[in-house]
Amino acid sequence: MTLSHAHDEPRNPARVVVLGASGFIGRRLLEACARRGIAAVGLASRDLDLADAVAAGALADRLRAHDVLVFLAALTPDKGRDSGTLMRNLAMARAVCEATRGVPIAQLVYASSDAVYSFATTLISEETPAAATDLYGAMHRLRELMLASEAKAPLAILRLTAIYGAGDTHNSYGPNRFLRQALSEGRIALFGNGEETRDHLYVADAVALILEVVTRGSTGLLNLATGTSATFRAVADMIAAYSGRPVAIAPSTRHNPVTHRHFDISNLLRAFPDVRFTSLAEGLAATFAGVRADTRG
Amino acid sequence: MKSPLVGFAGMTHLGLVSGSALAGRGFEVVCYDSDAALIARLARRDWPVLEPGLDGLILANGARQRFTSARDELSSCDIVYVARDVPTDDQGRTKLSGLTALIRDVAGVMNSEAVLVVLSQVPPGYTRGLGLWPPERLFYQVETLVFGQAVERAMKPERIIVGCADPAASLEPRFRAVLAAFDCSILPMRYESAELAKISINCCLVASVTVSNTLAELCERIGADWSEIAPALRLDRRIGAHAYLTPGLGIAGGNLERDLATVESLSEAYGTESGLIVAALRNSRYRRDWPLRQLHARVLSRVAHPVIAVLGVTYKENTQSIKNSPAVALIEQLVGCRITVFDPAVRPLQQWHPHLTVADDALACCEGADALVIMTPWPQFRSLRASELGRRMRGRVVIDPACVLDRAAAAGAGLEHVALGAPSPAQAET
Repeated sequence: MTLSHAHDEPRNPARVVVLGASGFIGRRLLEACARRGIAAVGLASRDLDLADAVAAGALADRLRAHDVLVFLAALTPDKGRDSGTLMRNLAMARAVCEATRGVPIAQLVYASSDAVYSFATTLISEETPAAATDLYGAMHRLRELMLASEAKAPLAILRLTAIYGAGDTHNSYGPNRFLRQALSEGRIALFGNGEETRDHLYVADAVALILEVVTRGSTGLLNLATGTSATFRAVADMIAAYSGRPVAIAPSTRHNPVTHRHFDISNLLRAFPDVRFTSLAEGLAATFAGVRADTRG
Repeated sequence: MKSPLVGFAGMTHLGLVSGSALAGRGFEVVCYDSDAALIARLARRDWPVLEPGLDGLILANGARQRFTSARDELSSCDIVYVARDVPTDDQGRTKLSGLTALIRDVAGVMNSEAVLVVLSQVPPGYTRGLGLWPPERLFYQVETLVFGQAVERAMKPERIIVGCADPAASLEPRFRAVLAAFDCSILPMRYESAELAKISINCCLVASVTVSNTLAELCERIGADWSEIAPALRLDRRIGAHAYLTPGLGIAGGNLERDLATVESLSEAYGTESGLIVAALRNSRYRRDWPLRQLHARVLSRVAHPVIAVLGVTYKENTQSIKNSPAVALIEQLVGCRITVFDPAVRPLQQWHPHLTVADDALACCEGADALVIMTPWPQFRSLRASELGRRMRGRVVIDPACVLDRAAAAGAGLEHVALGAPSPAQAET
């Protein structure tokens, strides 16, 4: 089930509705829609609590026929890793399923996660079986299955790798946390020596790809990643260099085995042959600039 | 015993080459196909397949080899080979109904004392399950042709593997006389063993290529060079001088895919472990996209609407087959590019790409290109001079999976030359 396009050329949808509008990607996506002249509405949890019992009806009331619904909203691990959080996340997905059964939207784009994959497989493609090993990954996989079987809309499932950039609302291990630590503490704490490799996607590139999926009316499954992984140590070294101040890189005793993750992005290249990725060096530099601007502002 | 008259039914690549080889060994051969238009074409020496040496062989065979669409002419044959290539679908699954129908048709006109030999590629159990010829005169013979080398392999087989109802019994004398003419070992075995032997050969080849692909990719990342490693492996007699150690762009052509699909299907039915086959297929799909990944990293992500020159569209050299061709797959994927293509044997089709230009020759194909991809290692491409390519191309990138060009010459001409298993040249920072 790789990605296929409804339109040979990009075309603006009637309207984009973003669930998770106040989140890291949601805000950027709405800004990008505005720049491209795409009518867009953002819904954050303060506007509509998707986990609420009446959320389905409330969401359906806000949707119009031919809308493209981008489902970004999720309670991420920093908000909870327990089964209660899982059930709230699933309730959100159920609300989306029910709402779409009542309104003929043009497309549903679900931002899933590479957390659906086990680290037992190192080189990931869309053929790699989903085999989540924690509740967060299981949540995303369950949501995918729910949307695929119960939502009544052409569906695109995008499994995102780790996203970084200025304005990140999470503090996940990687560029976002390293940057905060470098600026606030002058020290970056690594697990082990930071040997693990991960694929880091700059938020502007993630948003650009989501918009491509929206404007091409794409459906199917796609991993969003750059195809180039770097060690956490390399990321830490780059951030230390950009910080403009002495930053200590602090390894620690390793308690878990080293895991690696790489992506085969051949399907993404087939879907969007002229995709361009911001290099990690450029992305981190831009992130630093953004963080400094936010601090001054 | 007078020399047996031998018939071959099914003038696809297998039947045509095998029948011609047998005639080349001095036997009188009747080459039959129900397609009268095909027979007329063969009679005009307009061969439907490209095989080095085939034209000369058939010419030399003269009156010993005749082509006919009259099935009744098989009735006078002492031995009839059913030798039609078995087609496969996109998943590599075999479609046997046509072969079975042909065997029934042929058996219906054969002399009741004649020998029937199934040469076509069949899954284990097929020959024993036919049930329409006396088993003592029904055989399965393994074909080991290779596209592009088929005539030589048909004329000089390394050994002949024969599936029999009773491997302990002597081979039927006329059949033995035909096989003995090839002056090589004859290995009788039960039907199922012979049918699986054919598949086993291909599985071993696939395993060898998959290992080579896996290690060659590592070479590209860690700065090793597979072309330095492979000769060392071949000198290990456990691996062998003729081992399949050349990395490639995945399995194509149809035959290997067919046999892998058969093993997978049998494994599923019988509950045996087939992870190796699954891994080989996955590796094949992954390697097929190597040129796309290289092109994206070095050209598509930097140049808007690039012109890409593609040399070769067949799945391998010295053949006209584009079945599962990585070149065709690549061309179809290069949306947003302009493509110029040249192949010495097959005319590229306009339907593969909306902006496709067919070049008259290899150098013309490269004129003004932002990148060159040499997808099929036709021998004639080896005479291309890197310096001339450098002059004609607009860009510097040459993606050359089979390393047709000399790497040092390419580097000397200022080209960014990339080959399977070779350490990657540095890319400019984006």
